[in-house]
Amino acid sequence: MNSAFIAALALVLGASTLARADQVIVLNSEEASYSVLSRSQRAEVQRLPLGREPHHLIQTPDGKEVLIASTVTNELVALDTKTGERKRTIPGIVDAYQLGFSPDGKWFVTASYRLDHVDIYRYDGTTFTLANRTFTGGMPSHLTFGTDSKTVFVSLQQSSRVVAFDLATQAIKWNMEVGKVPAGLVMLPDNKRLLVALTGEDAVVMLDPATGIMTGRLQTGRGAHNFWPKGDGRYWFLSNRVEGTISLIDTQEMKVDSTVRVPGGPDCMDITPDGKELWVTQRFLRRIAILDLATLKLTGSIPVGKSPHGVFILKTPVMPMRAAAND
Amino acid sequence: MRPLIDLWVGAQAWAFETLVSPLLFALDLMEWYEPAFNAVEFVMLGLVQIAMIALVMRPIERRFGIEKAGIGRGEERLVGVDRVYTALNKLGVVPLLVFVVAYPITNEFEYLVRVLGFAPPRLERLIPGLYDSALASFLAYFVLYDFAAYWVHRAQHRFGWWWALHSLHHSQRRVTAWTDDRNHILDDVLVNLVLAVFAQFVGVQPDDFVLIVVVGRLVESFSHAGIDLCFGPLGARLLVAPRFHRLHHALADAQEPHIHDHNFAAVFPIWDVLFGTARFDTPPRPTGIDDREIDADNGRGWLGQQARVFRRFVVALAPPTDRHALPNREPTARS
Repeated sequence: MNSAFIAALALVLGASTLARADQVIVLNSEEASYSVLSRSQRAEVQRLPLGREPHHLIQTPDGKEVLIASTVTNELVALDTKTGERKRTIPGIVDAYQLGFSPDGKWFVTASYRLDHVDIYRYDGTTFTLANRTFTGGMPSHLTFGTDSKTVFVSLQQSSRVVAFDLATQAIKWNMEVGKVPAGLVMLPDNKRLLVALTGEDAVVMLDPATGIMTGRLQTGRGAHNFWPKGDGRYWFLSNRVEGTISLIDTQEMKVDSTVRVPGGPDCMDITPDGKELWVTQRFLRRIAILDLATLKLTGSIPVGKSPHGVFILKTPVMPMRAAAND
Repeated sequence: MRPLIDLWVGAQAWAFETLVSPLLFALDLMEWYEPAFNAVEFVMLGLVQIAMIALVMRPIERRFGIEKAGIGRGEERLVGVDRVYTALNKLGVVPLLVFVVAYPITNEFEYLVRVLGFAPPRLERLIPGLYDSALASFLAYFVLYDFAAYWVHRAQHRFGWWWALHSLHHSQRRVTAWTDDRNHILDDVLVNLVLAVFAQFVGVQPDDFVLIVVVGRLVESFSHAGIDLCFGPLGARLLVAPRFHRLHHALADAQEPHIHDHNFAAVFPIWDVLFGTARFDTPPRPTGIDDREIDADNGRGWLGQQARVFRRFVVALAPPTDRHALPNREPTARS
């Protein structure tokens, strides 16, 4: 009786948790809200208010929270990764347009696009302590880290430069001109090749992360903007905003493997936990596109709010029902 | 509702991706990519406003207009220049100039206050329930914005140098639904600059800001219509009607030399009621200005008016600053 009751309770809780794990969070940057989508229903199930101009979001190193940066209200809003519920607000994070944790989880960096500075915080798992603020100018927009957590690289869209900071000292290691309107950056797993997407051009450039010297260039699509890993360390997706396409880049061969048309100024991306779909925000169409990765064809487009920017797919939690059944 | 949104953003995205985006890319202006997309929407909304004026408000004016019997070719010409102002404003030419001048200033303002740690407040945190209703939230910010617009308008009438610019708006003898945009460019820059900084300061969302401006301007266009319409005893106090605003454009006379220092509100007459500048009791009167120098704006084209008013502005920059003490304030033949 008792175990049956526990099993029933677990079934209810499990179903509820699974339902939430089915969720996708999309930030509607120009209407101060975020949309909660159901992957299985392929529909927006809820739209909730949030701060002012939320653009990007990231998971905490322990995987427990998703932090949404509300740029104009200078705060982070933390959602529970498994349930999507709002947990806390972290004030005093100024104009965090783009944000990221170093791979070792000890550093948290924000790029302040409008206020022209890069903030480096020490992170102890709960609190953020500002170690340094550097006014770089040039609209800091995207960032990525060295795999050894020693360096953070930030693109400066307006000044056509990328700047590298030593995390331990927060000093600038180099500041190099790389091409027109640099945006998304990605460090490849060998920690020796830094890719930068040039939104003012139709290319990705490769830099030596130690010196910032350009070592290669790959033609992609007009308005090359943002990267997302396919998950195998070799292939990366790249959104080309002006052209309205997604390129799949083979970083081993340094070539464009394939290109798919995704209209509406495609921007941020995330992959479903099963690796079967890529979800892409269509900034201009107020929608999020679903790309089937087996066929590389668009299989859906879900209406959301105005200027959808960051997207995050909640990950599947451990199933309580299975734990109960094993007992 | 969603099909309408899809139609709208589909047209916007098409126009942007076909016409604007390739141009930005070719001219190395990609850092303006997002603002340019919003500018396309602004122009589209401008087209809607022009259509509303031409296809809805003007026919109402022609049918019920106060002055329809007296309109002749000369008076039509007076109205014609206001159409130019409307086109330049609604289709983005003037807003682009305003943006170029105002953006660095508003940006610097935002930079200064936010680096000092100031984050715009959120009404939603102060007023329970606003978070749950997009409409209530929009209206709350709309009311705040209109409050600021009321005081800006009073300042336009109070300071001599600002009146020198704003007097162009009042010089129109034939006030119609096209008249709302009849302003000197410098006046447009100043007004928009103050209101943009205010909007930033109180935390108006960009999306709400566009809607507030568009809805507000539609109400203002209609309130300039040459018809004797009000919305009843209560409605007249809730929303600015043509009768209410027409008094603000009324031609002054010896008995009431300051009649247009009333009814300043753009959208919500409550500000005039609260601050003692409301007048609901006056029957329709002729419109225009009792100043020969200002009245001479009429009959000139856009460029001529801009040049004349700029000269007036330069002269007015010197003391005295009270507009009522300005030189050349002679009665016109009409008064």
